[in-house]
Amino acid sequence: MHRLSTALALVLALPATAEEFNFAVTTDPQTMDPHAVNSTPVLGFLNNVYEGLVRRGKDMSIEPSLAVSWEPIGEGEGWRFKLREGVTFQDGAAFNADDVVFSYERAASEQADTSSWFAPVSEVIKVDDYTVDIMTTAPNPIFPDSIANWMMMDSGWAEANGAARPDKDQGNYATLNANGTGPFQVVSRQPDLETVLEPHAGWWGEVEHNLTRVTMTPIQNPATALAALLSGDVDFINPVPIQDVARLEGNPEVRVIQGIEARVIMLGFDQQEGSAESGQGGADMFLDPRAREAVAKAINVPAILQTIMRGNAEVASQMVSPAMRGFSEANAAPYVYDAEAARSLAEEAGLAGQTIAFKCPNDRYLNDEAVCQAVTSMLAQAGMDVSLDAMPVSNYWPELRADNFDMYLLGWSPGTFDAEHPIRFLAATQDDEAKLGSWNFGGYSNARVDELLPMIQSEIDDTARQAMLDETAKILQDEVAYVPLYVQPLVWGARSGVELTQRPDDFFILRWVTVN
Amino acid sequence: MTRFFDSDIFYAFRTSPVAIVSALVTAILVLSAVFAPLIAPTNPFDPASLNLMNGFTRPMEPNAFTGETFLLGTDDQGRDVFSTILYGLRISLFVGVSAVLFAMVLGIFLGLLSGYVGGWTETIIMRAADVQLTFPSILVAMLIFGVAKGVTPVEYRDQMAIWVLILAIGLSDWVQFARVVRGATLVEKSKDYVAAARLIGRSPLRIMLRHILPNVLSPVLVIATISLALAIIAEATLSFLGVGAPATQPSLGTLIRIGQGFLFSGEWWILFFPACTLLALALAVNLLGDWLRDALNPRLR
Repeated sequence: MHRLSTALALVLALPATAEEFNFAVTTDPQTMDPHAVNSTPVLGFLNNVYEGLVRRGKDMSIEPSLAVSWEPIGEGEGWRFKLREGVTFQDGAAFNADDVVFSYERAASEQADTSSWFAPVSEVIKVDDYTVDIMTTAPNPIFPDSIANWMMMDSGWAEANGAARPDKDQGNYATLNANGTGPFQVVSRQPDLETVLEPHAGWWGEVEHNLTRVTMTPIQNPATALAALLSGDVDFINPVPIQDVARLEGNPEVRVIQGIEARVIMLGFDQQEGSAESGQGGADMFLDPRAREAVAKAINVPAILQTIMRGNAEVASQMVSPAMRGFSEANAAPYVYDAEAARSLAEEAGLAGQTIAFKCPNDRYLNDEAVCQAVTSMLAQAGMDVSLDAMPVSNYWPELRADNFDMYLLGWSPGTFDAEHPIRFLAATQDDEAKLGSWNFGGYSNARVDELLPMIQSEIDDTARQAMLDETAKILQDEVAYVPLYVQPLVWGARSGVELTQRPDDFFILRWVTVN
Repeated sequence: MTRFFDSDIFYAFRTSPVAIVSALVTAILVLSAVFAPLIAPTNPFDPASLNLMNGFTRPMEPNAFTGETFLLGTDDQGRDVFSTILYGLRISLFVGVSAVLFAMVLGIFLGLLSGYVGGWTETIIMRAADVQLTFPSILVAMLIFGVAKGVTPVEYRDQMAIWVLILAIGLSDWVQFARVVRGATLVEKSKDYVAAARLIGRSPLRIMLRHILPNVLSPVLVIATISLALAIIAEATLSFLGVGAPATQPSLGTLIRIGQGFLFSGEWWILFFPACTLLALALAVNLLGDWLRDALNPRLR
């Protein structure tokens, strides 16, 4: 009887629930517009809805997506992409070269957050309906690697809905609605509440997943998310609170998927002379490299990893992790903790008696607020007075863009998996026209780095390229442009029947999910 | 003094075990908050004194790295939970008492005014009170807190947080006082001694403050005690939601928020002890308020 009722329960339960998939994330994607915000929560989610010319596979390698093949033009003047035929957007419109040209204009426009991806591009030319030439200002061997997140939007749809250009601040139709070519389409979107996806019936690819409906719920508190996973309310959470990993490993109903993320967590500094620092007293305390070095030496990163991260992360020495292409082996030694040296450096640099305004997100990175608190007390032990202000990420980026900080916490995951990426975004001198330094909030600037960057971008020879990356890494380390802290671990949790693939860029790709 | 010991109130207190126990608990908690710097082994608000390697030490067990032992364990930052509770208690009590005082002064003033003056003044004040009553008070407090935080310059935010909390909770709480005082004032206003005072030419302000106020105070006292418990909980709620006391100067609510993240991982003491303290404090003050209401209610005597 018992066996019978179990079998009956299985039969009754399976068809109704097996393929409905619920998952929880800490940070709700700010927008559904693939060109408005260049951040992992947004791009990672939209990778399920929109697609680019190329995409990354399970091992992060570049593979054809909306382009079936590509080849360099002449002596590196650009790249020619052959587009896939018969692709339709979720609203039924056909995909062709006009959409690529439109998506270029849109994603490279001044209003787009993704514009810096197109700094090397001079022009995008439609050759015929299914061929596109992307011309670059200099030979660019890694260009196809750098556009995996450049997503194609239908020109007709965007223009008909008044969303021909992204709008970061006010938002427009594309902020709440999506129309991509990807395997899933957004059927309902309630920001900070719930986003529902359903498979796109006309998708060109081969379906590997068995999902019929996917619901994403943002749960800001990781402990609450974990409770939801344990009770079966959600099938997947990202991240699992790191303190709970050990306990979960003994639970047969869930499993923990761990890996090292491509993301380096670091501290940035306000290095702009007397800039518009409203409310900061205008103190230029971190102009002096000794002040930055004092911070670097005052922080005991191994202690943070030992306690707050419970031994699940690696100390970082530079802006990329050792797994990235172009990591500088020559500069692999991290800053050494030395509280006494930090104290005297802080005194020399005149940090004493000043209050450092330290900004920190509290829902973006693993244990971000706890790490910031630990940093605060370590700096205090080296004689620096820090005022910590932790806030949700939706307030955090505007605060950084408004220059309201002396010091801040930032995590950077290079979208190209290459060491050139953070140089372009974080170390190059801010230049809106050349689309450089767009996330260089502190205004770090070094003439040699600016000179090296275009050379790195166009260098084809690996040894020569690495030598320039090494030189850049050394300059950044010597001048303490940023203080790299650690490489963030990836800790995902899923119900045990869920099969999925974890990629080191922390993108949760739904087309690889099966529910048994 | 003998007058106090002979009074009805003291008799009622002496014969009520609930009142004695809750007064005792309240007294212990208040005293340990006041003398926290003398009792606490460490100063948890001084970031320079924290050693991260002490983090997650179990109560009464030596830390694996530093060998130090803590009575109630430590939190994720290596803060001694016992000391942090004492200091957190200070913030909770200070915010609670100040907020109630603020709400009381505001409420009594507006209540007296609307009760005594009447007319348009009364209509405006009481309708404003009605409107505010339709919002949950925690929502009003969050709104005030958010606005105040927005207009405060960044470098003062830490110092301001406590005062903003007091303002926010106080402003969400004055309605109770105003309504009770107005009701009592309406009753007192028609009595002969007020008429007499008016006849000999006393100014309205003087009549309100010197003649009517002392006679409406006893219900105010009861509300104040019960409001104190509510204010302490409101502060804890705001801090728990992350909009109250800063993480570097945790109140009981902040401590509970921090500890809540470690419930599944087995570090129960970070949440448990602050929660017990908050429970004891709120319960004791509430019971005291209840008893006071019964003791001062002539109908129950």
